[in-house]
Amino acid sequence: MAFMKFPFLKKKNDREEIKKALSKSKDYTTVTYLNKKTNVTFCLTFMSTLVDEKIINDNALPPLLEGDFYRLEDTKNILPLSDVQVTEETDKLEQKLFNGYVLLTMQGIENKFCFFSAQKEVSRNVSVPEVEFNVIGPKEAFVESIDQNLNLIRKRLPIKELIIEEQKVGKLSKTTVAILYIDGITNTENVNTVRQRISDIEFDAITDSSYIVQMISDNQHSPFPQLLDTERPDRVAAILAEGKVAIIVDGSPHALITPTTLVEFFSSFEDYFLNWILSSFLRLVRIFAVTFSVLVTPVYVATLSYHYELIPQDLLGLLVTSRRQIPFPPILEALFLELTIELLREAGARLPTKVGQTIGIVGGIVLGTASVEAGLTSNVLLIFVALAALASFTTPIYKMSNTIRLIRFPFLIFAELWGLLGILLAFCFFLTHLLRLTSLGRPFLEPIYPPRIHDLKDALIRLPFSQQTNRPFFLQSKAPKRFDDGTAKEKKDIDE
Amino acid sequence: MTQIVPDNRKISPSLVFFLIHSMQIGVGVLGFQRIIAKSAGYDAWISILIAGLAVHIIVWMMYKMLRIADGDILAIHTYLLGKKAAKILCSILILYFVLLTTAVLRNFIEIVQVWMFPHLHTFWFGLVFLLLVLYVIFGGFRTVTGIAFFSVLLPLYILFLFLYTVPFSDFTNMLPILDHSIKDILLSSRDMSFSIVGFETLLFFYPFIKNPEKSKKWAHLGIAYTTFAYFYLAIITFAYFPEAQLDKNVWPTLTLWKIIEMPFVERFEYIGIANWCLIILPNICLALWCVSRLTKQIFSVQQRRALPVLALLVLVGISLLVTRDQINTVTNITGKFGFYFNFVYVPILFIVILITKKVRSHGKDT
Repeated sequence: MAFMKFPFLKKKNDREEIKKALSKSKDYTTVTYLNKKTNVTFCLTFMSTLVDEKIINDNALPPLLEGDFYRLEDTKNILPLSDVQVTEETDKLEQKLFNGYVLLTMQGIENKFCFFSAQKEVSRNVSVPEVEFNVIGPKEAFVESIDQNLNLIRKRLPIKELIIEEQKVGKLSKTTVAILYIDGITNTENVNTVRQRISDIEFDAITDSSYIVQMISDNQHSPFPQLLDTERPDRVAAILAEGKVAIIVDGSPHALITPTTLVEFFSSFEDYFLNWILSSFLRLVRIFAVTFSVLVTPVYVATLSYHYELIPQDLLGLLVTSRRQIPFPPILEALFLELTIELLREAGARLPTKVGQTIGIVGGIVLGTASVEAGLTSNVLLIFVALAALASFTTPIYKMSNTIRLIRFPFLIFAELWGLLGILLAFCFFLTHLLRLTSLGRPFLEPIYPPRIHDLKDALIRLPFSQQTNRPFFLQSKAPKRFDDGTAKEKKDIDE
Repeated sequence: MTQIVPDNRKISPSLVFFLIHSMQIGVGVLGFQRIIAKSAGYDAWISILIAGLAVHIIVWMMYKMLRIADGDILAIHTYLLGKKAAKILCSILILYFVLLTTAVLRNFIEIVQVWMFPHLHTFWFGLVFLLLVLYVIFGGFRTVTGIAFFSVLLPLYILFLFLYTVPFSDFTNMLPILDHSIKDILLSSRDMSFSIVGFETLLFFYPFIKNPEKSKKWAHLGIAYTTFAYFYLAIITFAYFPEAQLDKNVWPTLTLWKIIEMPFVERFEYIGIANWCLIILPNICLALWCVSRLTKQIFSVQQRRALPVLALLVLVGISLLVTRDQINTVTNITGKFGFYFNFVYVPILFIVILITKKVRSHGKDT
């Protein structure tokens, strides 16, 4: 018998210890009640900051105080709540309390207790996407609550094949991380890799999905983001249907999508709402913008430092006039202006919206004009730098646009070293880097390299939906066909 | 002995097109016209076609041999001579590829020094360039192939820019056709072959091709495309320069670019030479990849250990070559070696391997 008693005693000690530790916090609450009908004394324990007291007062207490409450098991019948558990396991006690459950104990019964959920939902309403804003199409964005976010996705994919797996990550934060995929479409290997990498995470506090991005990326020393992050539930739903894996982190309004490719970072989700000709045009504009944004100042530095013969005479005259009074070599001039723009951007991002706008105007107009008038920079370069900054903001994914802004600096240094040759060398370095990058083990430059002609249908340009019959090849989906493009097309002639 | 290459390290057969083509195009393109016109004059375009045809035949032989030996060049030699002798014979190739890399890189640097930066430091530029090459090769063969792929695709626009010269050209320069003897034309074919070697790397990367039988078609397409590119360039050059003027031009391709004029670009050769950086990159990457792999197989050292040493050798090599004559000597030696290796040694090897196979299969039957 003593052998039987021992674990029970230990449990009681556990409970006392937890109680002792918890009662240090001011939000630890214990209240004792008496059911007058059945003469049962019971006790409710909860963390007042996590629990919605309205649920306790309106839903839980009336039946408990006035209902047929004789045994602990009766709670399941009398409580009008869905999540009521009766258990003997003490090890879950702490975790449950911190998940917003209320602990119900009956006097005289030591080894059994009941939990019911009364979480307080503190979350903001679903709002308009701010980072990935679009003119047409749905205007819902993720919020910080994982349930709300999962609801937004489930609504768009109401099928049983959409699997939501949960894991707890972080020793202190116990963050809930959900892995989403569609069974029967998504490659199992991809799901396994994601699951493995997430469970391998060793970190104490995960507060946002960007932590996860940095921890599960293939190459953590690359300036390029290897997981797409989005705040649009419609994008996540569409991408799940393509056969990718999505990761949602509690407390983060950004979902992660993997595996991904470089071109995806330059496709806005609005591309799918526009006619394919328009969206293809916009995509090409964006790619041109990125190239322009990265290369324009380095090319300016290279040509003006080394290859002024490259420029036709008329244009050269213009450039020389604009630079006549400037005491600095082109590289210093370019670095000065680029850093100013970075400064403005950083200041604008840190300040509240209204002040930020003022700073933008002051910085952009006043500083720009003044520095040209003072003879510190040439107005041609000012135009180029401003255009380059503008062009870098066309990148739809914010993290990628940051990268774009960063990588021009190595280009600038190489341009100063060896002119155009240096720019080409820097380009080769970045090309190699991108060639070596993988996302979840899949090549990052796909479908350009390795060349996959079928995947080019939705890369640099977007072909009409009637052409998008197959899922991207690189995902190696279990169901490669998206839909049947109907029976064999009839051959039609004019006027038939 | 031959290690099996894991499937995820292999490349798809169509990429052989880019590997072969990018390896054949290098610094040679910038100045081959004068060299081939030396003996055959403006009939040299026929020589290009003959040289191209010869390459097709050699590559056909290579595929046959590789299939019989089922491996790379070392496997072929092992098949014939046994392990030890094969290793000794193949170590000569290490020297050849190091020399080839040195020659390509030094020639490119020379062009940059003559046309763009007279004061470019051979050592520093070579160092950065070789670091880039190491970065590529450490990414594995797939990255090397990727570089080859982009080095073919991205500079493609240059081919069209040569059309700028057409209004200033006279295509009757090439008439009358066939006013040189067959011997002259063949001699000029031999000169041409210096520029289009490089396809021998096939003997090294063959085990890395998924489905090698399918890649044959692509290899031959690659060669055909190279031949076309040289042919096209030769025709444009011959129409643009009178024969006497061509003789005084070391780099006619660069001179051709001078005529290109756009509203925002005048001297296009600056952009062109900078672009050539990307074109010679796969030459050097692939050559160093081949030689480091060979070193690994012969001396059983890790490829990642062998590579920096070989790159250092190249760096020392290019720093030691200073004058035009020295550069020319090294270029000629590698060119000659490449020629004899590809067009003399490979056919002999082919015949020997065919006979050996016959004899061995007879031996098995009886």
